[in-house]
Amino acid sequence: MEENQKKELLELFADKLTRAARLYLDNCTRCGVCIEACHVYQSMPETRYTAVSRAQNIRRLYEKYFKLSGKIAPWWNEAVELDDAWMDRVWETAYTCTGCRRCMTFCPFGIDTGLIQSIAKLLLIGSDREPKVLTMLADVSISKGRNIEATKKSFAQAVRNLEAEVIEKWRSEGGEEAVPLDVQGADVLYVALAGKHSIVPAAAIMNAAGEKWSLSYFEAVNFGAFVGNPKKTKEIAQRIIDEAERLKVKEVAICECGTAYRVMKHMTGKHSFNVITFVELIARYLREGRIKLDKSKIDARITYHDPCQIARQGGIYEEPRYILKHLTDDFVDLQSNRRASYCCGGGGGLVIMGDKEFRMKSAKVKVDEVKATGATILATACENCHSQLSDLMEYYGLETKVQFVSGLVADALVQETASRKVPAATSEEPQLQLTAKAG
Amino acid sequence: MSAHAVAKVLDLKGLPCPMPVVKMSQEINSVKVGEIIEVHTTDPGSLADFPAWADTTGNEVLETKQREGSIQIFVKRLK
Repeated sequence: MEENQKKELLELFADKLTRAARLYLDNCTRCGVCIEACHVYQSMPETRYTAVSRAQNIRRLYEKYFKLSGKIAPWWNEAVELDDAWMDRVWETAYTCTGCRRCMTFCPFGIDTGLIQSIAKLLLIGSDREPKVLTMLADVSISKGRNIEATKKSFAQAVRNLEAEVIEKWRSEGGEEAVPLDVQGADVLYVALAGKHSIVPAAAIMNAAGEKWSLSYFEAVNFGAFVGNPKKTKEIAQRIIDEAERLKVKEVAICECGTAYRVMKHMTGKHSFNVITFVELIARYLREGRIKLDKSKIDARITYHDPCQIARQGGIYEEPRYILKHLTDDFVDLQSNRRASYCCGGGGGLVIMGDKEFRMKSAKVKVDEVKATGATILATACENCHSQLSDLMEYYGLETKVQFVSGLVADALVQETASRKVPAATSEEPQLQLTAKAG
Repeated sequence: MSAHAVAKVLDLKGLPCPMPVVKMSQEINSVKVGEIIEVHTTDPGSLADFPAWADTTGNEVLETKQREGSIQIFVKRLK
């Protein structure tokens, strides 16, 4: 590695050394509690797949370049030189980890391995070693934000083409658009993904609830966050923030996409609007009696996978369960659930990057838990998780069908004939408990 | 019948976001500079994604057609 590049990379490293980052880099005692916490290690028990080992790849650089002990006695804390060979270890830190932060919940010091991972991702970007597909997708998102006027008309037409499918799930009221766009003063701006599976069920549910809503022109997912580029993350999120402010909406409801929710809720500062997940909105509709579901539509045992970004990192545990208990009397949790849920193995950009063998092998622990429930439907509330879990079910030969919570709800909507308003929830209905429980 | 001389057809129908653009990105180098790929997709977002991808990568979307149930996009490799 050339000296100039090394210098630039160390400057990037130094920029990430906040007080919190220094705390996490300084404080590991190698107790090893995190080892068993990682789904990758549980499925593929190799030392390099432990949280502590991944963090050490960065910590040893930190010792070398940012600590006095590393400068005068590098052997003391195993300080290492930053060179091309060590960048392979940096890659392992960044991309054999999904950033699920399960290890963090077990660490007695609460060391945020996600933050340490973000240093690794930044070093990879700085040395032009990051996964190019993630950068390309981030650039595409940014380009869309800059040229939205050019694509608005065709996107609107594509949305119009979906309206018949929305009306099939829920009738449209006379004179109303089934998928409204650009609604000034809407109560909810719904930010979907590009696929119709993310638009049609959500539209039917919001129409059934009589919501005053508007569909965003932008997709929710933030590839800037996947690749670990703070500047691109912000620029991609800003497109949605600008749209929400322009329309003066009260809430931005993020579709079933974990990273999109975490970025908008926790990484973009304060807004003039509230940020919620779509499952929170559905739970609200049920609680307020604005939609009603027909339990007889589903004759299956359902289990639920907690998406890491929505659950462990977002605190949304009970709403999806509350919804699913309106759909079946046979709901069963996975053995590791809520805060302790294992990652699906597809997070952090891995599901896009193409190394399917690693994704499949590293998530076997999740498959074993799904199998043990005997459930025939595995519900989830994240696109990334849905793709990964579907691949897992196919790879391991399970019949369990992976479905979005919103899709299940839309298919079970009770079509009211007189009034769209239905009576408020009774005490016999499943109660929403907002206190998070560890599994 | 397409008015374009198509070198390759990519059937990306049913693929969820962002896979149509990922696949396009992987396949663009399988044709020569100046040749055209015809893409079939069902993602409504592709209408915005493909022009943005072309803009980012220096290629060109020649034409987009919306048909019942799918979207047809013609992409020319420029470099």
